[in-house]
Amino acid sequence: MASNSSSKLPRRWHLFDIAERNAAALWPKTMHRYSGYLLLVPAILLVFVLVLGLVYIGGYSLHELDLATYRLKETFSLTNYSAALTSTTYQSVVLRSIGASILVTFFTLLLAFPYAYLMVRARQAATKKFLLISLFLPFFIGQIVRAYGWLIILGQEGLINTLFAGLGLPAMDLIYNYPAVILGLVQYMLPFAVLLLAPAITAIGRDVELASESLGANWMRTFLHVVLPMAKPGLVGSSVVVFTLTLTDFAMPEILGGGTTDFIANAIYDGFFQLSNSGLGSALAMILVTLGTAFVVILFFLAGTGTLGFNGREQ
Amino acid sequence: MIGSRSKGVVLWTIVWFDLLLLSLPTLIIIGASFTSGDIVQFPPEGFSLKWYSKLWLLDDFKSAFLRTLYVSIICTLVSIPAGTLAAIGLARYRIRFHTTIQVYLLLPFTIPLVASGLGMMIFFGEIRILGQLWPVGLALCIINLPFMIWAVSAAVNGLDDQLENAAANCGAPPLQAFFTVTLPGVMPGVITGALLMFILAFNEFLVSLFLTDARTVTLPVSIYNSIRSVITPDLAAVSVVYIVIAFIAVLLLDKLVGLELFLKSK
Repeated sequence: MASNSSSKLPRRWHLFDIAERNAAALWPKTMHRYSGYLLLVPAILLVFVLVLGLVYIGGYSLHELDLATYRLKETFSLTNYSAALTSTTYQSVVLRSIGASILVTFFTLLLAFPYAYLMVRARQAATKKFLLISLFLPFFIGQIVRAYGWLIILGQEGLINTLFAGLGLPAMDLIYNYPAVILGLVQYMLPFAVLLLAPAITAIGRDVELASESLGANWMRTFLHVVLPMAKPGLVGSSVVVFTLTLTDFAMPEILGGGTTDFIANAIYDGFFQLSNSGLGSALAMILVTLGTAFVVILFFLAGTGTLGFNGREQ
Repeated sequence: MIGSRSKGVVLWTIVWFDLLLLSLPTLIIIGASFTSGDIVQFPPEGFSLKWYSKLWLLDDFKSAFLRTLYVSIICTLVSIPAGTLAAIGLARYRIRFHTTIQVYLLLPFTIPLVASGLGMMIFFGEIRILGQLWPVGLALCIINLPFMIWAVSAAVNGLDDQLENAAANCGAPPLQAFFTVTLPGVMPGVITGALLMFILAFNEFLVSLFLTDARTVTLPVSIYNSIRSVITPDLAAVSVVYIVIAFIAVLLLDKLVGLELFLKSK
């Protein structure tokens, strides 16, 4: 009778019972306080692959290339680092990357903030949706495709030069230079910045702005003294992402710069695959990791993790 | 909107400029793909679908497309359990070194992609899996994992933790509570994360450049290789495939969870 009635229970219940029994055998109650750690294991192992990769790169960077055999020497040395740090070529590559990161961060935030603000504050649902879709569509299209689009627009026979020709103006070299790379990067970073700014702007109540305006501040002063400071978590989050993504970018300088405006990542790639000097390339990679980490740590230390943290509140 | 007329004018001027900047490359590519001429030029020389029909005859394109699909699916399938469990672990359990683990799990974002790509190229080479396709999918999962954890974290934080207590009080053992209460509750986050992971993997270029060779090349890498030689309209047609997939993904995301989710304050 008992077995009869239990067989009428949904099959799912039986499956769950079996699963629970197995789980209890494998992971007894005494272990339950470690359950949280168990859940973290797959992610920690996956990320550990990157740590191992960095260890290998660090190891390579400490061995000088033997020009007789084109292999790395057995002996440890800091030759690669001194070569990388004293070379004027690499110095200018590093300065160019940092300069571009500052420029791109500045222009991207300048363009992204009004977008995020209007999107969050839009009264009409249709306006909001239009701005969201216009943002997500390019966000979901990768760097290579977008760079290709810019090639068609800015190229020798491209849209802009054709327009110039129609107006009787001479063709201009709009591609393979620094401004083209900056333009491509700003366009690429814009969705990242807006998406990291938007939650911070949402958190600012409309009433705060109203209060500021009813106390006599015009909108610019309200923006400068109320909205911008209160949007700090978003500004921090988007600055970190835009700055580091630009600092470490490869595709835009490669495609839109055409070899004239190498960033650090391009120098690393060339070190490995053109000079076949994996030691020097690795040293450059370690320098880039250090630069990027230093920037993130300094900014987090000064301003908190902003909208970047996983648990949603500023640490 | 609060504020005067001038505010609207200034802000909307910038936003219209943004919209132009955001959409111009996409629109131009679509336009260029329909040319009947043999080079990309403006205005396009006549209208035709010939570059699209040529696309289907290109074995290189088809196999690169299928490989890209394969690595993106692996990336998504690995990231769903890894990211979901990690997000729940971080949000729902008392974890020692909570901040340290959080910083550690953000490493894929803080380590430059070029270093991640090289490191995995060397490591995969050492354990002799370099040159196969599945490690590329795994690598794409690793470098984008924080997106998955992020998406699920947002959902877990928005879920009342008393729900799980209530389930336990009603006698649900751990697995049952997890599968019937926690998981459905965070589903919007899982869907958002999975879509992001797929689309990012589908577009990923730099790490794939390090991990693929001529036999395993994926679509973004092969587009990059073509850009370096000569720009023909068939490349525009390939790019339109990307635009269409991006569009489908945006519509799916909007339909399943609503894009407005991204505007919520944390």
